[in-house]
Amino acid sequence: MSEFSGQKPPRAVDVDSDVEEEALVNEYREQVQYEDGEELEPVTSLSMAQQTDDIQSRLAAAAQPLDFSAPLETKFQSYDSYCSLFHFILNSEGPVDLEPPSYYWAWDVIDEFIYQFNSFSSYRARIARQANNEEEIQILKENPNTWGCYSVLNVLYSLIQRSQITEQLAATKRGEDPMAVAGEYGSKPLYRMLGYFSIIGLLRVHCLLGDFSLALKTLDDIELNKKSMFARVMAAHFTTYYYVGFSYMMMRRYADAIRMFSHILVFVSRTKNFQKNAQYDSITKKNDQMYALIAICVAFHPTRLDDTIHTALREKYGDQLLKLQRGGPESLPIFEELFRAACPKFISPVPPNFDEPESNIDPIEHHLSVFMDEVKTNMFNPTVKSYLRLYTTMDLTKLSGFLDVQPEELRSWLLVNKQRTKQLRWNDAGLLEGDLVNVSDIDYAMQGDLIHISEAKVGRKLVDWYLRNLSRTYA
Amino acid sequence: MNGEDPAERPDFIRNIINGLERYNPEAAGTLESYLQQQCEEKFCDSNANRALLKLYQLNPDRIKDEVITNILVKCMTQFPSPQFDLALHLLSPNIASSSTKTELAEAVSKLRGLNAQLEGAQYARFWATMDSDDLYADLTTDIAGFEDMIRLRIAQLVSQAFREVKLSVLESWLGLDGESETGKFVTETCGWKVDGEGNVQIPRNPDNEAKKAEIREDVNVDMFSRVIKRAWEEAA
Repeated sequence: MSEFSGQKPPRAVDVDSDVEEEALVNEYREQVQYEDGEELEPVTSLSMAQQTDDIQSRLAAAAQPLDFSAPLETKFQSYDSYCSLFHFILNSEGPVDLEPPSYYWAWDVIDEFIYQFNSFSSYRARIARQANNEEEIQILKENPNTWGCYSVLNVLYSLIQRSQITEQLAATKRGEDPMAVAGEYGSKPLYRMLGYFSIIGLLRVHCLLGDFSLALKTLDDIELNKKSMFARVMAAHFTTYYYVGFSYMMMRRYADAIRMFSHILVFVSRTKNFQKNAQYDSITKKNDQMYALIAICVAFHPTRLDDTIHTALREKYGDQLLKLQRGGPESLPIFEELFRAACPKFISPVPPNFDEPESNIDPIEHHLSVFMDEVKTNMFNPTVKSYLRLYTTMDLTKLSGFLDVQPEELRSWLLVNKQRTKQLRWNDAGLLEGDLVNVSDIDYAMQGDLIHISEAKVGRKLVDWYLRNLSRTYA
Repeated sequence: MNGEDPAERPDFIRNIINGLERYNPEAAGTLESYLQQQCEEKFCDSNANRALLKLYQLNPDRIKDEVITNILVKCMTQFPSPQFDLALHLLSPNIASSSTKTELAEAVSKLRGLNAQLEGAQYARFWATMDSDDLYADLTTDIAGFEDMIRLRIAQLVSQAFREVKLSVLESWLGLDGESETGKFVTETCGWKVDGEGNVQIPRNPDNEAKKAEIREDVNVDMFSRVIKRAWEEAA
């Protein structure tokens, strides 16, 4: 599909010809389905000549955060400057000869691009819901494609394709030289880095749109370890693990989600002393969010956490964690509270319906309600488990008497709890792959109304303890 | 995950969902006929179906109500699994909201209720709900062998948790008429035995054994590599 490949017939970029450059801009507008480009003020499209003269400052500007309260007009302008910048990078004749201003520049650009897309979509939906700002409603209605989902996806996929980053990563994985497959674009740092971080960007966009399995699929070529390129940029490292962990949680792979969150939180706790800068502040917020998500995952899937994580979790969310772990209807508001506080700011990929404000339901509420279906299904698991732990055999009718429920109801609870002990767990292959394993320490089978229970004995885990104390003693 | 990447998936579908073609609105038609094929041939490709829902998400003008409900019913047959939820996440919030008063929203809300009963192992209630409204028959009519698939899945799940179960309990869970029909299903389809007192004996399998296990920590040299390295460096 040509509209995604970004493989438009190459055009000559003639720095002396303004006409030529205007044509280029228009061509890109067409490509992103910019229906009403003419109505926009000319100030929004800097001509290419100015741009190339001043490209270094343009590159730097693209990585600058936009003020949250910026007026609508600025948001439109910002979109236009991203469009022309990416157009310049993608569709000039041959690769543009530029060095990225810094090794984290590409991450900052993609991060800011998606952040602005995210906040614009949320803002637009809010204006539609509130329905009291006629002027802005009118502008937004007339420009449905500004910050459109298709154009954002188009940019990310085009950067990935141009840079041949997928091929490069695959070659690295096979132990071959990535430069051999990089092509004339991908061999330049600018393209390679933009392509690489566009993959992480896609992970995020898919997650924001509620497509959690596609989000994980996107990372097929990236190996999650400290040697990966994303790990060099703290914010990228952090963001990647947050979205991967969140996607796992939404796919009911709680063990994998906990593994992801724990990995990055331990990493942050070890590095926090020398990360006291502006970047660190934004990380602190995500940090707390991930603790909330760990609390949710642990409620679904009780497990032993790393000591550092466990202590911090008790400090931050001690009360909530207790209630979650107790289960039952009383736990439901806590699940909702933590989910709301810790989920990504979900968005809808299409413009809202401005004519029927009340039909625009906040996507966060939508995803929360679907998630809560599964929470409700599982809310009696803690109760069931706490009783089964006490016996080796138990009569079902007797237990239902203890719990004050009908035997039929208890049979359902037992089945649900048993079914949920099987979980897909990652096995060193792609993120979506995994083995179906039994993740619970308690197992049981029913013979008529007799429940046979067996508890797996967990031997003490000592390696971690030894290592920590060794390093403490000999530090 | 159940019904995620079936062996039946043809190459041209694989190309759509693994490439950029998955964003081409024109691909919707192909994916719709593939869904039709899944419904007729009793297999399930939730991954491909999600690609179709994604196209609807991006191009709401292409939405076909019965395609959405068919996908949801297909997901439902995979219980217990996140498939149904993953599909719901891709629907527009107002389609999945109970406060919306369109035919599609009403159908989605009904299917969501049904799915919750299957996920919650309330099988007797599931069959009662199916019988309570003709709409359920309409919603599942396109999916060949829907009830049989659900029944088989329930039987399979029962075999993973029970060594022995009363025929009367199975009768309500399988939604069959009378003990003789249930007995027939249990012996002929599942290959289980019914004793004189109406107890169904289920053969032992790894899941209904509930064997004692001991989980031990795997220790290997790599875990100590840093300590050893440091000791070595300090000594040198």
